[in-house]
Amino acid sequence: MKYIATIDEQTYEIEINEAGEILLNGERLSADFMAVAEHSVYSLLLDDDSFEAHIAPHDLGLEVLLRGRRYMVTVEDERARILRKAGGAGVTPTGEYQLKAPMPGLIVAVPVEEGQSVSRGSDLIILESMKMQNELKAPRDGVVSRVRVQVGDSVQQNAVLVVIS
Amino acid sequence: MFDKILIANRGEIAVRIIRACRELGVATVAVFSDVDRQALHVRYADEAYYLGPAPSRQSYLRGDAIIEIALRSGAKAIHPGYGFLAERDDFARAVEEAGLSYIGPRPSAIAAMGDKAIARATVAAAGVPVVPGTEGEGDLRDHELLKLAPDIGFPLLIKATAGGGGKGMREVRSLDEMPGLLESARREAESAFGDGNVYLEKVIEKARHIEFQILADDHGTVIHLGERECSLQRRHQKLLEEAPSPFLDEKLRAEMGEVACKTARAVDYRNAGTIEFLVDQDHNYYFLEMNTRLQVEHPITEMVTGVDIVKEQIRIARGRKLRYAQEDIRINGWAIECRINAEDPYNNFLPSTGRISLSIVPTGPGVRVDTGIFPGCEISPYYDSLLSKLICWGETRGEAILRMRRALEEYRILGVTTNTAFHQNIMGSHRYIAGVFDTRFVEERFSMDEMEEEKEDLPDIAAVLATLFAHRQTQEAANIVQRGARDTSNWKWVGRYERIHR
Repeated sequence: MKYIATIDEQTYEIEINEAGEILLNGERLSADFMAVAEHSVYSLLLDDDSFEAHIAPHDLGLEVLLRGRRYMVTVEDERARILRKAGGAGVTPTGEYQLKAPMPGLIVAVPVEEGQSVSRGSDLIILESMKMQNELKAPRDGVVSRVRVQVGDSVQQNAVLVVIS
Repeated sequence: MFDKILIANRGEIAVRIIRACRELGVATVAVFSDVDRQALHVRYADEAYYLGPAPSRQSYLRGDAIIEIALRSGAKAIHPGYGFLAERDDFARAVEEAGLSYIGPRPSAIAAMGDKAIARATVAAAGVPVVPGTEGEGDLRDHELLKLAPDIGFPLLIKATAGGGGKGMREVRSLDEMPGLLESARREAESAFGDGNVYLEKVIEKARHIEFQILADDHGTVIHLGERECSLQRRHQKLLEEAPSPFLDEKLRAEMGEVACKTARAVDYRNAGTIEFLVDQDHNYYFLEMNTRLQVEHPITEMVTGVDIVKEQIRIARGRKLRYAQEDIRINGWAIECRINAEDPYNNFLPSTGRISLSIVPTGPGVRVDTGIFPGCEISPYYDSLLSKLICWGETRGEAILRMRRALEEYRILGVTTNTAFHQNIMGSHRYIAGVFDTRFVEERFSMDEMEEEKEDLPDIAAVLATLFAHRQTQEAANIVQRGARDTSNWKWVGRYERIHR
């Protein structure tokens, strides 16, 4: 099974065959991969080199914490990628992004409004919880299509606050 | 001589206090809110009483209910820990009026140091240098503050008199922006402390926050246990502390230590306390404030002096004379403390909540962990985000740093995001290693991204890991692969997996 993994615009071609082997950009390596005791920590023996990492799904892909460094990886199987590129969808992530409350709290500021253009990293909502004011930021450029809360609202965890198209 | 103490707190500090009581043969009484029924402090104590619903105002801040439980349980003393009611002179007074011992200073000392403006005036009168700013006591009105500001000089800070932690604090760079900032500072102070009064202080550029631990008994002895360097802060919350400070020499340590003791004597202090100083680049030091309680970072002082501060607190409250004279206190080696918080350092330190699924605590020589968390415990939004304190000791500062790096790698907490990577980056930062930093370092001159550049970069391995993970997921969902020796269906496994990662 062929996959394309992307980190920061750099792509890697990885082919997995069932014989405990992989091909990384054409190079053949033996791979022994397993979860450690059912938690999101994984151990990989790649040609006798030992790597341990924390892997978890994230909003924009898979988050890999390896040797104290964080990588955001998107993985597509080869067929899906070909289809996507043929559809002319372009490289930028499509689909709307829903900003959800990471925990219960109080909305203390809404510095954006519907129709406003935002860039990656700009503040969308200021949420007060755990005794601190937390800025929730846009993960990518886009246009605010819905603002579902106002200042003074109390929100539950995972409540949708702002939608970016 | 009391033989039962009620701990009016929760989390790691409640566990810490219970440990000291155990070693002294004193019985312990714990109190808990709705979400703390399974907490470590409840399980370690001899007796435990329900306080109320989770929000602090309905539980850990209910002084009357706490005193009532103490009387009911037969506890003869109350230890307030830190935070919650620990610096409330009204609570200390109520405890004493109920005929119980308060393990801390006298209510009058708490009051004297609780109002920051009064504290400054009191110590200035005793000849202690203070950060230049508004003099004297009394609530100053806006027009008076605006008149005094140019004499103090810009940039200056507007600070709340009723409390700290950055609330009600605003930096002012020029006179014209002052009226607006005064208004917002007062509003925040009013909301945080119920008191909108403020005072002014000059900003000391490139300052270091260095504090001294003191112990005072009922028999007139006041000693200091050396200093702690606490300059690594973010939004006025300390993240990392070390003892001793790489910025002081023996002479300055002795001088500032003596000034700290003088400050304590000026308010007739008893029990444990901390005097905070700001030290500028030229080694001029200024009194900032006094904390009339046990502090979060007390373990590093314990590691370098060998003194058990909580046990000394209890002994002092029992009327014992301090066992140590100043000449008995020696600083041995170096200790660093990293506060492990439930925060994401890659995402603006956003706090996280959840259930701890794994907690592998580092150990080995020179490693101490003070924590209240355990696998299965819920991190809720009702209290602060401190999960654990990781403290490492070394014979030298270099050894302490290497040991801390090793311990941080070993420490595994799953279920919430933690700021461990931030501490790892600080331990690898050249400026930190060189001891060159000040209170603005974290916010202005440190970035997680910059630190990533210097680390081992293995994107191809990360790509392989992510791909194997994704491949495994699709295979298991399609029931192609059996995972290990489990005999449950793979759909159940995927469901369980998703639940852990919600």
